[in-house]
Amino acid sequence: QVLANRATISSILVSPRQKGNPILNNIKDVPWEYSDIEGADYVLGATTCALFLSLKYHRLHPEYIYSRIRQLGQKYSLRIVLVMVDIVNHEESLKELSKTSLINNVTLILAWSAQEAGRYLDKFKSLEKAAPTAIKAQQATSYSDKLVEFVTVPRSINKTDAVGLVSNFGSIRTAVNARPEEIALVAGWGEKKVIRWCQTVREPFRIQR
Amino acid sequence: MPENDEPPVKLSLPLEFQQDVFRELREEDELLVLARGLGLLRIVTNLLHSYDAAGNNLIVLVGADDRENGWIGEALAEHAAISGSPKCRGLSLVNTDSMSVTTREKIYARGGILSITSRILIVDYLSGLLDPATVTGMVVLHADRVAATSTEAFIVRIFRQKNKTGFLKAFSDSPESFVTGFSPLATMMRNLFLRKPSLYPRFHVTVAKSLEGRRKAEVIELEVPMTDGMREIQNAVLECVEVSIGELKKANTGLEMEDWNLDSALHKNFDTIVRRQLDPVWHRTSFRTRQIVRDLTLLRGILHYLLTYDPANFLKYLDTVLAASRPPPGSTRQNQSPWLFLDAAHTIFDTAKRRVYTGKLNDANVGKSTNGVPDSLHPVLEELPKWALLGEILEEIERDVYFNPQPQDESNGTILIMCGDRGTCAQIREYLQSMHVMPDEAEEDEYGVPGNGKPSGKAMMRRRLRNYLLWRKDFVRASSSLFQENEKYINGTVDPRQQANRGRAPPNKRRRIRGGSAAASAPTRTASGAVYIAGDKDSHVQSLLADLAPTEAEAQQKGEIAADPLEDMDDYYELYEMKDLIVVHPYDGDMDEHVLEEVKPRYVIMYEPDAAFIRRVEVYRSSHGNRQVRVYFMYYGGSVEEQRYLSAVRREKDAFTKLIRERGNMALTFTHDTAGLDPQESFLRTVNTRIAGGGRLAATAEPPRVVVDVREFRSSLPSLCHGRNMIVIPCMLTVGDYVLTPNICIERKSVKDLIQSFQSGRLYHQAESMLQHYKNPMLLIEFDAQKSFTLEPFTDLSNSAAAASMQGSDLQSKLVLLCLAFPRLRIIWSSSPYQTAEIFEELKKQQEEPDPIKAVSIGLETGEDPEQRTFNQLPQDMLRAVPGVTSKNITRLILEMGSIQEIANAEEEELSRFIGAEAGRQIYRFFNRSVFDD
Repeated sequence: QVLANRATISSILVSPRQKGNPILNNIKDVPWEYSDIEGADYVLGATTCALFLSLKYHRLHPEYIYSRIRQLGQKYSLRIVLVMVDIVNHEESLKELSKTSLINNVTLILAWSAQEAGRYLDKFKSLEKAAPTAIKAQQATSYSDKLVEFVTVPRSINKTDAVGLVSNFGSIRTAVNARPEEIALVAGWGEKKVIRWCQTVREPFRIQR
Repeated sequence: MPENDEPPVKLSLPLEFQQDVFRELREEDELLVLARGLGLLRIVTNLLHSYDAAGNNLIVLVGADDRENGWIGEALAEHAAISGSPKCRGLSLVNTDSMSVTTREKIYARGGILSITSRILIVDYLSGLLDPATVTGMVVLHADRVAATSTEAFIVRIFRQKNKTGFLKAFSDSPESFVTGFSPLATMMRNLFLRKPSLYPRFHVTVAKSLEGRRKAEVIELEVPMTDGMREIQNAVLECVEVSIGELKKANTGLEMEDWNLDSALHKNFDTIVRRQLDPVWHRTSFRTRQIVRDLTLLRGILHYLLTYDPANFLKYLDTVLAASRPPPGSTRQNQSPWLFLDAAHTIFDTAKRRVYTGKLNDANVGKSTNGVPDSLHPVLEELPKWALLGEILEEIERDVYFNPQPQDESNGTILIMCGDRGTCAQIREYLQSMHVMPDEAEEDEYGVPGNGKPSGKAMMRRRLRNYLLWRKDFVRASSSLFQENEKYINGTVDPRQQANRGRAPPNKRRRIRGGSAAASAPTRTASGAVYIAGDKDSHVQSLLADLAPTEAEAQQKGEIAADPLEDMDDYYELYEMKDLIVVHPYDGDMDEHVLEEVKPRYVIMYEPDAAFIRRVEVYRSSHGNRQVRVYFMYYGGSVEEQRYLSAVRREKDAFTKLIRERGNMALTFTHDTAGLDPQESFLRTVNTRIAGGGRLAATAEPPRVVVDVREFRSSLPSLCHGRNMIVIPCMLTVGDYVLTPNICIERKSVKDLIQSFQSGRLYHQAESMLQHYKNPMLLIEFDAQKSFTLEPFTDLSNSAAAASMQGSDLQSKLVLLCLAFPRLRIIWSSSPYQTAEIFEELKKQQEEPDPIKAVSIGLETGEDPEQRTFNQLPQDMLRAVPGVTSKNITRLILEMGSIQEIANAEEEELSRFIGAEAGRQIYRFFNRSVFDD
């Protein structure tokens, strides 16, 4: 019953044991409230929870995080350990945590400051129901941007070259079909660029054997 | 091997120092650092030939690029013919993925001298296709590129591990690369498993003796003054550079930047230096910082083009630069490049224009001309000062030839002109053809140009200006159609800061200022303060064009010379006498030696300074006792060109001095030959001091195994895994980059890759397919060892904090989305490849070893051959940028269509057939949209 209630809650639930953690001041976009939750430090959604771990603390009490993970239970499908990297010699600890994340099914997220950690919590809550379109495919942009992006894929060709190329040939199709000598006449296009461009557009996608 | 055991081998090393070097190299393994231009490749080919002639061997050449391969191949064939040695087999290339495994196996079995691409060689060494123990020896070119974690170092390590007796020689002609870092030479020697460095600078006694004997080349140095316009532009550009560097310093406090000053800006590639310094923190820098770094590259380009392009083309380039630096749409912040706001930028554009044409109006008739259209534009046609000098030199040579008839020797009477690039070549060629063409006799008198044969670039400049004006008409249309979306967007925003831009007219709407067009033809400022060039009035351009209409004399000339089709070559083809020729050639590194040998010029004109080429002439001259050479050497006084040349010479000298000093102090390793030092251990000790006791695993059970995608061999991680005693199995993987156990599959992303693949949506699909096939899919976010281990952006002091953090948080929210979408995906954060290797070891503990055969088959459709699925990366990346192409239909497109060109030329229906009507239409429109019509 409590669970069903939580799913509709629009704020981050914070365990009282996090009181005094500076990252609470950096949760800015979404509301948060203390709540008596078992196991996790933060509840970020119906199936998402987070534990907070400072590496400084971890070095002193290495067993702490294991006991906390054990208490988490299997209620959440996405279990995050938000690690604050606040020591210089982090290699050993991070190596160990990587192994832990594999064995105990937790996902590591690293933050280097309280602001960043707070922002992560923000995002986890606010994007909870967002569709992954932002990372699934290209976002549509204007023709000129697309054009520049397309032409500048081969190394060392820059935006100026892209504009010069297309305004000389009129369309991308003619630019693709242009002979190397013709392209070399465009201001700014040196030999290397010409060769690289011509090779790339003519190169077969599939390597022939 | 003692000399006398060998069959007679004919070498072509006439000079004493070359013979010294060769002898040294034959005797023992060493690293040779030779000054640029002293003929490194010649020594390499002679060395290779001496082994080739002996026969019965397998020699691997590492690090050679295409042209070097060509050179070495030809030279070996030539040597073989001269020596007449029956055992020579020449050079075989293994350089593309297109060679199948069986072909490679055959080539390896046959032996001889093989030039193999590093990535293929390492895969073949590891997979056992080529057993290192069977290799007679290795020759490493470009040794300066062998860093501890590079593929080449990996190759050398494996070779030395399995083969203690084979020879190993390394070559480099870039001493500058050896001076950065702590005891760089010693480090390099360790990476190469070599003990003896051998240094041959130009000031080496033997070298100096060989080159400065009685057969010294005659060199005449000519300093050309720049025109006022050029000097003005150069100073203005330098001012822009200074301001940009200042901005960089302001935005990135806490970075070491003492040597970012104007002095280093004159340096050959200061933008790369700045870039390299910023590289460790690149993913944290703000948008503005990156923009400024890009600006620096642009400004350096402008400096270079100022000296090489003719004024009309230079102006053309500047126009393009200006059009391309319009603000992108959707930007709410002021993100124009800072240099565009300077007075100096105004000077650049203004002066560049005045060098080509100018308004004729003076103050007196401004008032009068309000009712009529004034005849306002007038061509100026400044010529590059080097042109006139070139004409003079040619005349002098002619006179010289006339008064002192050729002494009998082997050189041809040919004049060789060397210049920087092909573009300059074309320019010089055009100039030489048209320098005696006078556009109009009457006009000459008017301007006091003596008509009797004095060379002038006038005809050429008139043609260039005509081209420019015609081009400009199209360009204005194109750029307005390209950027009108941006303009619209900017004008549509309610942001008060952007309101200021509203007054800005699109360039095709001629900006009319009452009272005359003197102001209109000069660059003006937009309300926001950035430079903006208003178009000239159509009628003016027309009158200018009419003014420039080709005269009869000009009409007889050929058109554009650079694009000279060879179609009707047969009709005109005939052999010219070598002595009548003027050959124009661009500098081309080691290939210049061939040019000298083939052309055998009596006169060489160096249109631009190049230290290496002077040495090549010296070597050429000293090698041939009976070939006279006179060199004219010209440069612009007080220019960037001069500075660059001097600093290049100085840097090389400093580098050698430093290397010689380090060699003097270097500790000697006597243990090299004894078995005590395992190269593997020494490698571990050099790269990672954290592992006390060598970090060896107890040799119980099976040795740990990692299956690695062959494409991953570009990174250093496979090498480091091998260094930690894992067996690296190269495979063609469809899903994931590394397979550690039957369940763990890892996709490795550097921070840069991560940002990119989030943008292109590739990571989403990679994660999807990993989840589908493996129980424990993992994303490895790997930071560079030298880069800072954080994703946080710098707080940009000059900008508001919100704007600075935007880009950083963007990456973070994408990461959050990924976690939410794939709760089972684990993330490994690693601060360096070294740590990654350790983490891999940790993850593999007490786990089963992966099965390479199964790993390869995962993700493939049944019956599909993994060898068939190798794709070229670059065209694919381009295709991904095309609107309408999604990660779903891209595979179909790649399989059905051959190349970008084919897709560009495909009809809409054809595309639609494969990927659906909507996507097909989008792709078709992207390629076929014309920027000339709005």
